[in-house]
Amino acid sequence: MPLCVLEDVKKTYRIGEDEVEVLKGINLQVERGEFIAIMGPSGSGKTTLMNIIGCLDIPSSGRYILADKEVTHLSDDELSVLRNEHIGFVFQNFYLLPYATVLENVLLPTLYMEHSKNGLARKRAREILELVGLSDRAKFKPNQLSGGQQQRVAIARALINNPDLILADEPTGQLDSKTAGEIMDLLAKMNEQGKTVAVITHDAGTAAYARKTLRIRDGLIVD
Amino acid sequence: MERFAAILQQSILAVRAFKLRTFFCVVSVALGISSITIIVAATEGAFKKAFDMVALFGPDSLLVISGSEEARAIGQREKTLTLEDVQAVREAFPGAYVVAPSTAMPDTTIAYRDKKYQSIVVGSTSDFSRAWTWPVVEGADLTEDDVRGLRNVAILGSHVVDELFGDEDPVGKYIFVKGIPVQVVGVLSERGTTPTGQNMDNRLIMPITTVMRKMQNERKYVSVFRVRFVDQNKLIQYEEELRLLLRQRHRLAPDAPDSFRIISPKEIIKFLAALTGSLVVFLGIVGIISLVVAGFVLANLFLLSVRERTKEIGIRRSVGAKRSDIRLQFLGEAVTLTTLGGIIGFVSALGASRLLTLIAAFPIHFSWKAFVVGLLLSWFVGIAFGLQPASRAANLEPIEAIRT
Ligand SMILES: Nc1ncnc2c1ncn2[C@@H]1O[C@H](COP(=O)(O)OP(=O)(O)OP(=O)(O)O)[C@@H](O)[C@H]1O
Ligand SMILES: [Mg+2]
Repeated sequence: MPLCVLEDVKKTYRIGEDEVEVLKGINLQVERGEFIAIMGPSGSGKTTLMNIIGCLDIPSSGRYILADKEVTHLSDDELSVLRNEHIGFVFQNFYLLPYATVLENVLLPTLYMEHSKNGLARKRAREILELVGLSDRAKFKPNQLSGGQQQRVAIARALINNPDLILADEPTGQLDSKTAGEIMDLLAKMNEQGKTVAVITHDAGTAAYARKTLRIRDGLIVD
Repeated sequence: MERFAAILQQSILAVRAFKLRTFFCVVSVALGISSITIIVAATEGAFKKAFDMVALFGPDSLLVISGSEEARAIGQREKTLTLEDVQAVREAFPGAYVVAPSTAMPDTTIAYRDKKYQSIVVGSTSDFSRAWTWPVVEGADLTEDDVRGLRNVAILGSHVVDELFGDEDPVGKYIFVKGIPVQVVGVLSERGTTPTGQNMDNRLIMPITTVMRKMQNERKYVSVFRVRFVDQNKLIQYEEELRLLLRQRHRLAPDAPDSFRIISPKEIIKFLAALTGSLVVFLGIVGIISLVVAGFVLANLFLLSVRERTKEIGIRRSVGAKRSDIRLQFLGEAVTLTTLGGIIGFVSALGASRLLTLIAAFPIHFSWKAFVVGLLLSWFVGIAFGLQPASRAANLEPIEAIRT
């Protein structure tokens, strides 16, 4: 059984009277251990698709199965638990809490675990900071770090709960090409260690790190 | 439980991070809580004071004063109670263990050697000490022989002793009262000042017969008399019976006002309530208004904060926070702020009430009660006014929150 299975997933948004169909029937499978890139022009529905895969949103119709669980009809609380246990997000603008330290940011997902063990989590956070090369920055605030370092913190945060899937939406969009390369190297390293990774991007250079590229146009996957 | 603690820790993190919001919330809540704390303490102080005063007055006692209320109001001191009235009361109430008349001469000059002082001379029976639960601490009480024999003896209030004798032992010495030589036989214990500012210790007690015959040229009328009953539970009933008896003896028409006044412990409580009531009402209104204002300040700053922190909420939701976790965090922030405000309010109330007692001699009594009331109120404000912003934060859709 693949990690993610999307069957004829559609998503429509209501804007006043109008209904806009953003996803028009997506069929997609992501196997465990894959590294895929999703490319497509602006407004084609990439972020909408990522929100559904990441359980931040649910399809208007169709089916979505994540780690053998049917997501389509889950409650808000159940979706939260799924995100906490199975998904690690990495965003274009890093999205760190400005008033929390690097370590506190990395620990954030552990606060919302069903059965958290604080001591264990701290030990793991230190290990992961080591892995992303920021062990000496644990007490820093995000605004004391460079963009690349902030994105590493975000990746560490995505890894802390040992999720099945890392979902990155334009992770290199705010970075220069050298730093972007470093971030993609890091994601590739995670994939080599067994993590499933999905990256959404405009940039062919970024997509080249993935082992498979899907193109989306106008709410449909092409080729 | 661990999750609960972890989320409240996030609340504290945010309280420390958003310093301006913290400052305004804490100050406004502190203002409200401090005035309410003062009210609680003042009410408690008034009760304690009333209780002390009733204990001092005697919970089993009635005091009957000559003259109608109307006459007293315009400053007249008419004498209406007689020694026969006193005797009649003694016979009519077997349940009374003391019936003690007394008569007063205010502003009387007394002298010892070359020192002179103005004091009140009180004429009393040998029951004085027992009637007022006011022990003689040096020398001896007045005796029945002193009263029967119209003797020139006196027991002194402690203030009079200080003024005339200083460190000298007054017992056995002679003083002059209205030019008459009087021997000091005893000294009363110290009693302090009444809420109206009268010094209770500035008086001397002499046999009522001596005062009436030798100083007032009076054979019949007395100023007041005091009655104490064995069974204090029947005091209200006794008061009514006493009123009827005296009205009958004074042959008052049914619609005529009393020609005397009966003071009971109840009366004292009423008097004190009137004294403190207006200030308590004033502070109460101020306190409630400032708490409500504090609540609205809090609610608005939190709504602003929720709007500013939309992205934070989105981030937390994306890593697995449930709606209830977000609500708990924001409520936790609100309650942390109001608790801080409550504690600061309590401390400043301690300071403010010090000032109040200094300038107004206002009875204030702080206890754990005032603290608990303040703390509960601050929690109430935090929850009541924090709930709406917290719910708004909780109900943000994750994808909307993350997009902005
Ligand atoms: N909440 C929403 N309500 C209404 N329309 C929406 C909403 N979210 C997205 N859309 C619309 O859906 C379409 C796809 O948006 P989406 O963000 O998925 O595009 P994208 O491929 O991620 O684009 P970009 O590369 O610019 O990030 C857009 O036309 C957008 O306006
Ligand atoms: Mg997008």
